[in-house]
Amino acid sequence: MAVITISRQFGSGGEEVARLVAEKKRYLLVNKAMILENLRSYGISDDFDQFDEKNIRNIDRAEYRELEKKRRHYLKTIHNFIYDLAIRENLVILGRGGQVLFKDFPPALHVKIIAPLKCRLRTVCKSYGLDEAVAARLIEEKDRDRQDYLRQIFGYDWLDLDLYHLVINTGIFGLEEAALLIVNAAKVKEETGNVLNSLPDAKIQEQNFTVSQVQDAKGNAPSFAHPSEEEFAKMLDFYQIKWLYEPKTFPLEWDSEGNITVAFAPDFYLPEQDLYVELTTQKQKLVWKKNKKIRRLREIYPHVKIKIIYGRDYRGLLQKYGIEEKGE
Amino acid sequence: MSGEGEHQLEILLTKEQIQQRVAELGEKISRDYAGVEELIMVAVLRGSVYFAVDLSRRLSIPFTLDFIGISSYGATAYPLGVVRITKDLDFSITHKHVFLVEDIVDTGLTLNYLIKNLKTRNPQSLRVCTFLDLPGRRIVDVPVDYRGFEIPDCFVVGYGLDYQERYRNLEEVAVLKKRIRQQKTQIPTDFSG
Repeated sequence: MAVITISRQFGSGGEEVARLVAEKKRYLLVNKAMILENLRSYGISDDFDQFDEKNIRNIDRAEYRELEKKRRHYLKTIHNFIYDLAIRENLVILGRGGQVLFKDFPPALHVKIIAPLKCRLRTVCKSYGLDEAVAARLIEEKDRDRQDYLRQIFGYDWLDLDLYHLVINTGIFGLEEAALLIVNAAKVKEETGNVLNSLPDAKIQEQNFTVSQVQDAKGNAPSFAHPSEEEFAKMLDFYQIKWLYEPKTFPLEWDSEGNITVAFAPDFYLPEQDLYVELTTQKQKLVWKKNKKIRRLREIYPHVKIKIIYGRDYRGLLQKYGIEEKGE
Repeated sequence: MSGEGEHQLEILLTKEQIQQRVAELGEKISRDYAGVEELIMVAVLRGSVYFAVDLSRRLSIPFTLDFIGISSYGATAYPLGVVRITKDLDFSITHKHVFLVEDIVDTGLTLNYLIKNLKTRNPQSLRVCTFLDLPGRRIVDVPVDYRGFEIPDCFVVGYGLDYQERYRNLEEVAVLKKRIRQQKTQIPTDFSG
């Protein structure tokens, strides 16, 4: 479906422009109110004020980790919600990193609304009944939040003009005119096809998607021992299967004093399936040691379900998904 | 049977074997769903289309045909690598009997997602029919109520299954193998110098 994303400086009238565009195009407007309403059904509406277009700052390390975990869950939910919506509806998305979320979606039109500080001060003073000094602080704070949000979550500079098809200055154009410009730009884009390309490959390589880092079911990003394990974790993530990386070590042999001499930690645990998965990319003739450990594990812990994915199975998976195998 | 380029095709299931099994499945499913009102047959795009069409011709019960499509791992351009519905159902399945038709169940990852997704829509019942089943590749357990053929762990094409969008239209199912290039020594026959 069609997507128009609108990013805006605080006080530039971007919200009103988005509303007008949605009205003219008869698209669904995805703004603060709409998201908040829908997030109630996901049980994370309480997190909205804390994380919506905001950066995490000025807190201690332990608190940061906890908050970051919560935020990742919040962002994953909201981004999935928006993506799913885009499959069914034509959307006007206000803020929330829409320009990055749909950066590689060819039909999308990305718009930035800006205005000179003087104009924004006037708008904010009038809209919120503030004096100029307070309005200036509010503008600075809001813009910094949005800028940091885009950098922290997606690794993009908010003012990177490569992200936008169109930048409109509402210090020059009125809000109604800005909306008309967007509607016309969308029409031109629909008629002429997608001649504009996305960012160069080098830029894509540089991007740092905090939310797309591989995370386990507890929100931790483990250090994988082998690239194949990370690829497998991504596969599980893709199909929304919860996993934990090496969460448990099973003692297998003990010496006469009861000290553990041999133990085995399967690579993955899938809590919903109550299943351990061991991934091995070693050649078949070299896996006998691992097989021996797994046989022993099954003897001592008969209730534990474990599945081994051998090198040939793993390569079969890669072949199925058309992925090239990564080296050590 | 030969293939093209670097691949070779070896027939695993003939057209006759497939058609006979599809007929058997059609009879069994028709018996099992006899008397059921509002049955929706959901075919998973795109691989199961050939099977679903042939199977539907063998059903003697009324049903509604619908399709669902989901994105595949490795083929997404989105920054968040999460499976998505690329074509949703046109009909509501709430309180209706649903019969999901897959081309192949191997790891169970796709089917596990589809079952979870469809169950959130509160169908009256949900059963799974797959043309091919590869239990040897299973990662997550998924229920399979009807299966055409259980096959060994190999890469197969034909009857809807593809390799890079090719071979779907084969009427047989074939194992796709890498062709071993034979090094032929060219013996010159013409000595001119």
